[in-house]
Amino acid sequence: MAVIQVENLIKNYGGVNVVDGISFSVNAGEIFGIVGPNGAGKTTTVESVSGLRQPDSGSISVLGLDPQRDHYEVAQRVGVQLQESRLQDKIRVHEALDLYASFYDTPADWRSLLDRLGLEGKADARYTNLSGGQKQRLAVALALIGTPEIAILDELTTGLDPQARRDVWGTIEQIRDSGVTVVLVTHFMEEAERLCDRIMVVDQGRALALDTPNGLIQRIGAGQLIRFRPSAHVDDAELTALAGVEGVGRKGEMVEIAGTDDAVHAVTSFLAQRQIIAHELRIEQNSLEDAYLALTKEAK
Amino acid sequence: MLSSATTKLVQSETKLFLRDPIALFFGLVFPSVLLLALGGFFPGFADEPSADLGFLRYIDAYTPIAIGLGLATLGLVTLAPILGTYRQFGILRRLRTTPIHPARLLWAQMALHLVVAILALVGAMTVAVVAFDVVFPENVVAFVFVFLLGAGAIFSVGLLVGALARTTSAAAAIGMSIYFPLLFLGGVWIPRQVMPDGLRLVSDLTPLGAAVAAMDDAWFAGTLSVAPLLVMAAYIVVVGFLAIRVFRWE
Repeated sequence: MAVIQVENLIKNYGGVNVVDGISFSVNAGEIFGIVGPNGAGKTTTVESVSGLRQPDSGSISVLGLDPQRDHYEVAQRVGVQLQESRLQDKIRVHEALDLYASFYDTPADWRSLLDRLGLEGKADARYTNLSGGQKQRLAVALALIGTPEIAILDELTTGLDPQARRDVWGTIEQIRDSGVTVVLVTHFMEEAERLCDRIMVVDQGRALALDTPNGLIQRIGAGQLIRFRPSAHVDDAELTALAGVEGVGRKGEMVEIAGTDDAVHAVTSFLAQRQIIAHELRIEQNSLEDAYLALTKEAK
Repeated sequence: MLSSATTKLVQSETKLFLRDPIALFFGLVFPSVLLLALGGFFPGFADEPSADLGFLRYIDAYTPIAIGLGLATLGLVTLAPILGTYRQFGILRRLRTTPIHPARLLWAQMALHLVVAILALVGAMTVAVVAFDVVFPENVVAFVFVFLLGAGAIFSVGLLVGALARTTSAAAAIGMSIYFPLLFLGGVWIPRQVMPDGLRLVSDLTPLGAAVAAMDDAWFAGTLSVAPLLVMAAYIVVVGFLAIRVFRWE
């Protein structure tokens, strides 16, 4: 069941269509990712869905409602974390939560929300004394304080260190597990690959692709990159002749072989037969990042 | 539900105001401190009436000036930068994604500033009347009326600055560049009674000058004069309306 439906959304700023005919729908209970380079129109898209922007044309339906016309009802049922939005330096965590709770008909209990987000013990802290990760988790708490059915999270982990980012990822999975649909805007492919059920790749205001992370990776082929330092000389031509091998290259002493799934087996048995040891053997699959780069490059 | 949100907003903004020692000092106690300093340390300030001042003592003439200064400080030095900060931090934008319209935060701020202004007024009046034997206002009702009208006129100017400034520092800079001329024309350095006629005419047209003139009349003559009331009303209607029209939430 679709909880968000966007049809042919267009938003123009200063003669440029920042969003140029994007359509998508978000299903109940999924984590829906929107990825793309800076300025691709990701934020404008989710801000239109939140009702902050009035589209120039196209239609948006959120839980069957119009975010512009039914602003109050949509705001009751959709929690939002905005990019580059912060709180007053001197407000205390529990005061901010208590204040935002008063805006909603069915507020969550902020104490249990703090526990869930790993902010227990921070209730009395002033905003300015929180770390970057804690501020972001508080932003998530404020997005969830009205017990929303949908949470829209825009660039939640930008500027966080790797550990804090992973903590926030855990939080997002928890939100989904509690039954809330999540729309996640990010430019970290690792994050999108790890968290999202489906991903829309956006560039220059257009949707380039919409698929599962695996589906997107499959589009550029299930490529493998095999690297190793052979213990004895191997002939490039012999390697190239192996099943599934598409290309052979060298970087210093390292051999790099690109190919399909079959290439891995073919190369390892070839080396075993000749009793050559593959030192520092690494096999890398195409990642979402490769797929993303291929997709956005294609579009240019 | 909605009224509880408004209550919480006022509570929360009040707490934040109380945590800002600079706002607290300049907005709340500075008018009283100014009167104490002038009356206590300047020779002759609280002694003989002066013919130049229409047979008031300097401390008498400075009582409405100090009260007016308090209004200007609240409107331009605290209110405007707070609104600039709230825009810069995205707090107004964030509120737009909740069921509560961010205008409610503006009204909470205006209400808070009005309450602080009234407390500052009570403080300054107490100092004037108790410490320096300034007469109690001849017409209290008229005085309170013109004080509120003056607050409305000056806060409208602060709201307009806060409506447009993108950042705290922009709001503070614009606010200051209006604040000091307003203080000058309101008589902080040269009381209106001893201003040259031309300067006094300009003063009459400023919100602070009009407020001080009207407070003077109500306090010492017990009268309401039409001209300053019209000037203050015009600021509320024109500048206040403009501020609401041009207000940017982000």
